[in-house]
Parts: sequence; structure tokens; C-alpha cells
Amino acid sequence: MMGSHISKPDEHGWVELNMGPQHPSTHGVLRLKVKLDGEIVKEVEPVIGYLHRNAEKICELDYYCDSMIYFDRMDYVGAMNMEVGYLEAAEKLLGIPPPERVQWIRVVMAELSRIASHLVWAGAFGLDLGMLTPFFYCFVEREKVLRIFVEACGSRQETNYMSIGGVYQDFNDKLVHDILEFTEQFPKKLDDIFNAYVKNDIFISRTKGIGILEPEVALDYGVTGPMLRASGVDYDVRKAEPYLVYDKINFDVPVSYKKDNLARFLVRFEEMRQAIKIINQAVKKIPDGPYFNPKAKKSLMIRLRGEGEVYARTESSKGEFGVYLVGDGGVKPYRVRVRSPSLKNLSVLPYLAKDQMIADLVAISGTIDLVFGEVDR
Amino acid sequence: MKSGDGGVLTTTLEKALEWGRSNSLWPLTFGLACCAIEMMAIQAADLDISRFGSEIFRNSPRQSDLMIVSGTVTKKMAPRLRRLYDEMPYPKYVIAMGVCVIQGGPYNQGYSVVMGVDKVVPVDVYVPGCPPTPEALTYGIMLLQKKIRNETER
Amino acid sequence: MVEILEESTGKDGRRVLKVAKEDLVQLMKELKGQGFVHLSLITGIDRKDRLEVVYHLQNLEKNEYIAVKTETLDERVPSVTSVFTSANWDEREQYDLMGIVFEGHPNLKRLFLPESWVGHPLRKNYDISKVQYINMDENGEDYATFDPGDGW
Repeated sequence: MMGSHISKPDEHGWVELNMGPQHPSTHGVLRLKVKLDGEIVKEVEPVIGYLHRNAEKICELDYYCDSMIYFDRMDYVGAMNMEVGYLEAAEKLLGIPPPERVQWIRVVMAELSRIASHLVWAGAFGLDLGMLTPFFYCFVEREKVLRIFVEACGSRQETNYMSIGGVYQDFNDKLVHDILEFTEQFPKKLDDIFNAYVKNDIFISRTKGIGILEPEVALDYGVTGPMLRASGVDYDVRKAEPYLVYDKINFDVPVSYKKDNLARFLVRFEEMRQAIKIINQAVKKIPDGPYFNPKAKKSLMIRLRGEGEVYARTESSKGEFGVYLVGDGGVKPYRVRVRSPSLKNLSVLPYLAKDQMIADLVAISGTIDLVFGEVDR
Repeated sequence: MKSGDGGVLTTTLEKALEWGRSNSLWPLTFGLACCAIEMMAIQAADLDISRFGSEIFRNSPRQSDLMIVSGTVTKKMAPRLRRLYDEMPYPKYVIAMGVCVIQGGPYNQGYSVVMGVDKVVPVDVYVPGCPPTPEALTYGIMLLQKKIRNETER
Repeated sequence: MVEILEESTGKDGRRVLKVAKEDLVQLMKELKGQGFVHLSLITGIDRKDRLEVVYHLQNLEKNEYIAVKTETLDERVPSVTSVFTSANWDEREQYDLMGIVFEGHPNLKRLFLPESWVGHPLRKNYDISKVQYINMDENGEDYATFDPGDGW
């Protein structure tokens, strides 16, 4: 393996071990420089940038409507959430609010995407801990979500479903029927997957009480999302600064006070259950009306001009996703800046892994839910 | 077919080897970006790749003979990709999955992306799409099997 | 007390404070004392004649949100890592891509690109057509080069 370069011991008797960038448990292309005393991790230095695809630069060279595809490819397992995040900023900057119907459709799609993202995470986390079986169950359920996406827009993963001021295609009755069918059978399947994890002694002993993240430290490092909520801080952008129509929907924000790996696992599973609750409410409440704003017809799209500065935040499946757009009155944005939650969550890894076993380092980095398209952009 | 002729025996043995090799392609677990999730999907239950003999994704390049380059290759990653390719034993094959790997894709006006992995390693099969559906990747693997089976005839 | 040069409201309804860069760290300390504990984002903007740095802060208890702006002519801005730990990687990223030197940062290295990369890509005057290559030495560290003959 590429990561097996081990140095001679230094003056403390520590050896330096290089993990990655090609390593099965680094979820992509993370490279960790680990200093080890025997099996105990003394220092970790994450080295990133192996998937730096210059999205922020290319967004400056493209029209406002074209930049969407680069946001799809940031958090590629939960692409709809990224689209919502970008459009929250772009629509405010360009002055094109989406119609009521579109807002409800976006909520449904964003929550389906959150389920898909958490399912991929759960499967991959199981693989990190050596559990193969739940991976298959997770991906079977994910395929069902992706089939709904294909029905809606023709694409599986990088959907590009939403556009400025609307969505690409309207919801039809078959789609609503499919979604309701999915939400009806999913909680039972989710319980099966959940039991496959928590009824396993090895899983519990590798997650319980390991990787304690104190809430003060988490806030100091800028950690958000399920990781922060697993540390006992009740903070969710959907509640703190509601976007779309989240203020009209009744749902709970799961919080755990255990602060360890298991807590982060439980919070994510409870989020999926809440997502089902949101979808069930939102699908039934979608009002009639147009599915795009007439000011943003496809022929007019590349002539949209924006001026000013807008910072919009949304709650993606990883945490607080922010987009800062600066326009200078032209048809292309002047500056695009993305707050990627995974990057901030990764920055706390050296603190979490200190004085843990090397095998637990893998488990801890698994619970961070890293997606490298978003970390490196 | 002549009996006793050494040529016939050699050809059939090579055919048998090719047949065996093409039906047990072991890919390397090498996920780079978005396409890696679709590569994981063909491993999973719905689109089971083990029907074609590729069920084991090896974590070490020493044990694998197929590299599916799934996702954008950045300039920082390219030397490592080359090294992984060099570490794989012969015979080895490469599938370029997704447009980023074929020519840079949506990122080809940028500064840090390699415009096609064929500048770094030789490629056998190109699978276009952004990302390609798992069915497309399965078809790519079947094309590669066809190529391996006909290797001596070329 | 810190002198606020300009106070305005942005298009998204957030309060924007503008300060001189000498007062930045002092203002950040005061804001943190008022409850703005969550530093959401640090952004560098290349305005061609000057560089602008924007800090987005949030008060979790009162749910207030503000942006702090400062400007620099000589690419140097004081670092706020002594106030917020989360500024560490953000400042490294802005140094990497925008070329803003944060004075007092404990470990100001490039975050994404190798150290020997020439130029800062998000600057408006960066020549994107000039191709640079990255190679790897024996220890696994990267270095950048202009020469295609020495590429991969």
C-alpha cells in the first residue's frame, strides 16, 4: 500500500507513519501523517488538497446559472443540498425569489438527498469497522432514493435539478406516489440497518466512549452539523435561520450529550427518521402554481446580473454550508466563496485522535463524514 | 484443428488463460471523487459486479489487476496514481471512468486538474458520463473482458 | 474602544462593520466577549487595487449575525487565530489561494497547493494559461515545476 512508509524512531521513540492518500479507510484522498508511540497516536497532521479542483476559480469564469454544476460536485453524495445552498445565495443576489411551490419541492428533494448522504456514510463507516453486511442494505435503500431522482430529472447522483428561480421539471403524480411509497417502507428498513449495527458487540466497543469531543472545543474549531449536535449543542441552521419553508414544518433536531463516536452515529440515524417526517409533511403540502419564476426563463438565464454581497447558509448533511457571493454588476460573479463544513470538521481530527489507538483513528475519522469534493473543492 | 501440432496446443492454452483472466478481474479500491460512489454502487447488492467475476475490490495494488480511475485526477494526485500503477503486477488494465478522467470534464479550464489520465497511465477502456451510471461502468468492464479474450488474435 | 469606520446593512440583511486592520484583533476580542463565538467564514476578495478580508461571525445564543470587513494595501492582515482556533485553516486557505499574509499565524503554510507553487490562483491577475506541474519526491512531499520535461 502506498501509505506504508515508516521512518526511524525520533528522540521520543516515536515513529512517523504515512496513511494515504490511497487508503481504504480515508474516504477518498485524505493523507494523514501520524506520529506513533507504539500503537498510541501522538500527533496527526492531515494533508489535504489531493482533490483541489479549483471550483471557486471556475465559478468566477462562468455565468451565474452555470456555476450550479460545480456545487453539485462538491458534496457529491448529497448534491441537492449543495444546490439549495448555492441558490439561496444566488437568488438573493439576483433578486429572483422562487415561487411557493418550488420551495416545497426543494425541501422534499433536499431531505431525500440527506437520507442518501447519510446512507452512504453509514455503509462506509461499517466498512471502516470491518462490517460488510450493512453496506449492502444501505446501498439498496440508496438506490431507491436515486430512482426517485432519475424520475424527477434524469440523473442519479449529480442531479442539477434546481435552477435559478425554480426547478428543472415539475413534480407529477407518479413522483409523489413514488416518494410516498419510499417513505412508507423506509423506516422499517432503517430499523433493520440500525439493528445490524447496534446489536453488534464489536461495533459498540469500537464506538462507545471513543473520540470524545467537548462542546467548547467543537465550537472553538468551528465544527457544525451532526458532529456538533452529538456534542450536546442544539444548533441547526434549519431552526436558527430558517430557509425555504422549514419554519412551516414540524420536526425535531436530534441532540446527544454523549459526545463520542456512538453519539454521532445515533444522531445521523435519528436525522434520517426526522427527514422522513419532513418529507411526509412537505409532499402533502406542495401547493399548485408555477414551477419557476418567469423572470428566470431559460432564454433569459445567462443575462442575469447581480450586484452586492450575499452570504447565505444552509444545513447540508455535513453541517453548516455557506455560500458567499460577490457581484460587480456583470453577468458573472466577482467572487464565490464556500464554507465547507467537512473542512472545518476535519480540522478537529488532530485534537480528537491524540492519545488514541491507531485503530481508533480510523473509526474517528469515519464519524467525521468526510467528502473530499467539499473539503478540497 | 490438427492433433499433435504444438501450435494448436499453445493457442488453446493462451485462450484458456485469457478466459480465466478476463473472468476474474480484481479492481483496486481507488476512489478519487464523485465517480467513486457509483463505483461503490456496482459493488453493492442491486448492481452486483460479482456476476462478472470482479467481486473482490483489493485494497493493495499488489493484488489487483484492474485500476478503475474514478474521479478527477488533480496534479497533486497524478504522481501517486502513477506510482500505484507501477506497483500493480502485470498484466494490468486501466478503465478511465467519467469525463474528468477522460479530458478534464467540467474542470478543464482550471489550473490544478490533469486533462485526461491517459497523460499519466495507458488507458484500455473509456467510460464517459458525469458520473457514468453503474450500468455504463459494468458495460465498460464487459468491453474490457472482450478485449482481454481477443488479446492473442490482435 | 474600537473605532468603527463604517456600518451598513448588506443585501442579505446582515450588519456589516468596517474597521482598520490595526483594530481587527481588538474588535474580534470584544465581539467574542459579547457572545459571537462562532466564526463561520473568512473570505479574501481581490479588489485589484487592494485586498479585502471579510469575517462572518455568529452569536449562537441571540442568533445574531454580523460581518466584519477590513482592507489592506500591502497584503498583510493580523491573524485572529489567537481569538478563534477555527481561523487557522481558513487563514491558511486564503494565504494559499489569495496570497494574504496573516501576521502572527502559528503555521502559515499553503493548504491545498505545494509550497513551491508560483502565484496565488484566485487573484485577478493570475495567469491561468501558464501550466505548472506537480511532482513528488522520495519522502512523498510535493513540489511544483514549470518545466513540462520534468513533469509526470
